[in-house]
Amino acid sequence: MISKAERTLNHVILAVVSILVIFPVIWFVLTALSPESSGRIDLTRITWSNFVTAWQAGDFGQAMIASAVITIGSVVGQTLFAVLSGYGFGVLGVVGQKFIFPIILLGLMVSSEVFIIPLYYQFQAIGLTDSWLGLIIIQIGMGVPFGVFWMRATFRAVPRSMIEAAQIDGAHSWRILWGILFPIARPAVFTLILLSFMWTWNDFFLSLVFIADPSKQPATLALGVFQGQHSIDVNLLAAGSLIVALPVLILYVFFQRHFIQGVITGAIKE
Amino acid sequence: MTLRTAVRRPTAVVAERQATRARRRRTGWLGLAYASPAILFYGYVVIVPLLQSVNYSFYSWNGVTAARWIGVDNYVRFFTDPALSESLVHVLVLVGFFAILPILFGLLSAALLGRGRVKGRGVYRWLLFLPQVLTSVVVAIIWKRLYGPDGPLNEALRAVGLGNLAVNWLGDFTWALPALGLIGTWTTLGFCMVLFVAGVAAIPDDLYEQARMDGAGPVSEFFAVTLPGLRGQLAIAITLTVTGALRAFDLVWITTQGGPGSSTTTPALLLYRKAFLNPDVGMAAAIGIVVAVFCLVIALIVNRLTEEKNP
Repeated sequence: MISKAERTLNHVILAVVSILVIFPVIWFVLTALSPESSGRIDLTRITWSNFVTAWQAGDFGQAMIASAVITIGSVVGQTLFAVLSGYGFGVLGVVGQKFIFPIILLGLMVSSEVFIIPLYYQFQAIGLTDSWLGLIIIQIGMGVPFGVFWMRATFRAVPRSMIEAAQIDGAHSWRILWGILFPIARPAVFTLILLSFMWTWNDFFLSLVFIADPSKQPATLALGVFQGQHSIDVNLLAAGSLIVALPVLILYVFFQRHFIQGVITGAIKE
Repeated sequence: MTLRTAVRRPTAVVAERQATRARRRRTGWLGLAYASPAILFYGYVVIVPLLQSVNYSFYSWNGVTAARWIGVDNYVRFFTDPALSESLVHVLVLVGFFAILPILFGLLSAALLGRGRVKGRGVYRWLLFLPQVLTSVVVAIIWKRLYGPDGPLNEALRAVGLGNLAVNWLGDFTWALPALGLIGTWTTLGFCMVLFVAGVAAIPDDLYEQARMDGAGPVSEFFAVTLPGLRGQLAIAITLTVTGALRAFDLVWITTQGGPGSSTTTPALLLYRKAFLNPDVGMAAAIGIVVAVFCLVIALIVNRLTEEKNP
């Protein structure tokens, strides 16, 4: 269909842009593998020791545990609430949804800055600052708009007749949700899990505001502190950064389609 | 459909409608039960503090002593005090880098790539989308190093004999803001490209055939078919990138902290400082409200502009 010259041009465009995008990352990976703390890349003496040194110096073990707890707690809560409320809004209908649903969608457009200050004082009063549980609660609450919107759309796409057939068989709403709808919706739920994992793990701002105790810092925050202390050890800094980025990168390597489609279709339906 | 309902006797229709409504009402309470955990968390974490934010913004409060009602003074001060309002000018510059540049470039590449299926496009897509999944802290650290006084950018300049152009990019009053902006370009460029290329692939073939039969060249084809076909994708790209620029915090915080001087302050940065570092809590709340209103207005305008002409 298209000429050979055109095809070559296409490859050239894509390759040039891809290299521009990927160059800083590759360069950073190579820095992390080089022995020189000046950040000079030396591929003749590749070493893994930077990762070990950075891991110990930045106390990343503890920080990764903090991130894991916060992320898993948030993802479980967000996903469960999304499935339940998506079923409510998408299939059963909710009393007052004409009023409630737009307010929930509003949450897709406002970001944390607008409510974080009163929330901070609110949490301080009940001892939820400097607490993983506090962050999990915030993440769950903030994840509601996307979760509701995502699962509602998913459940609405299921043919009505399937639900009605189950109702005639006398199935209760709980059984219809977990026995019929959930298995169909599993791919969408999986995408939701991946996105909410990424968003929670990558968060910096909320942790910066709510966690002051160094022993409770999640990985992104620990990395921020680490870069302030080790700005001259460039190779350690690069290694530390890769450690923090790794969990999401691994998921991205295996499930890129879910990530890209999730972000794009999620945005389109908005 | 219409025919069948017309034939049916009105009383039956009314009865049926009442039955559906009754069923809805019954399941409506059940639905509320299912949705209530989400609604409660959302209300507690987002909506209640949001309303309190509006209230805070009318007070002068240092976080400790008694708050004093000052009406809309915080808002007036935000827009008139040069130390605060300059952050809005910075945002305009950032919009150029975060939004306009990547969108124009994304459109150009979508036009050039056209509809030919490129071999290995999965790999390209993976690479282009990568900055979207990296946490902002890592992105900031990578670029802080690239821009550093003895970083790769300056070394490259020295290597080609342009050493006198080498500066500490993020520490320079003139260059810090554009340098920061380019980091934003880097993160959103691939996203825009992936979005637009996917959008072009979804435009029906016959529209292009039609344009070609009408004798359209590549340029007029782009403006007559491709651009209108990408309306939905454009709406997303504009909304996400512009609001991204408005909210810029992580990148700025890690790379420049608003400096040198105040040359890279953003509203979100001022908000953080005034809320938690040297408290002027009412002002911080007002900044949050202004940012949220801007985001909302942009989303609504973009939606209106791109949806109106839809068939």
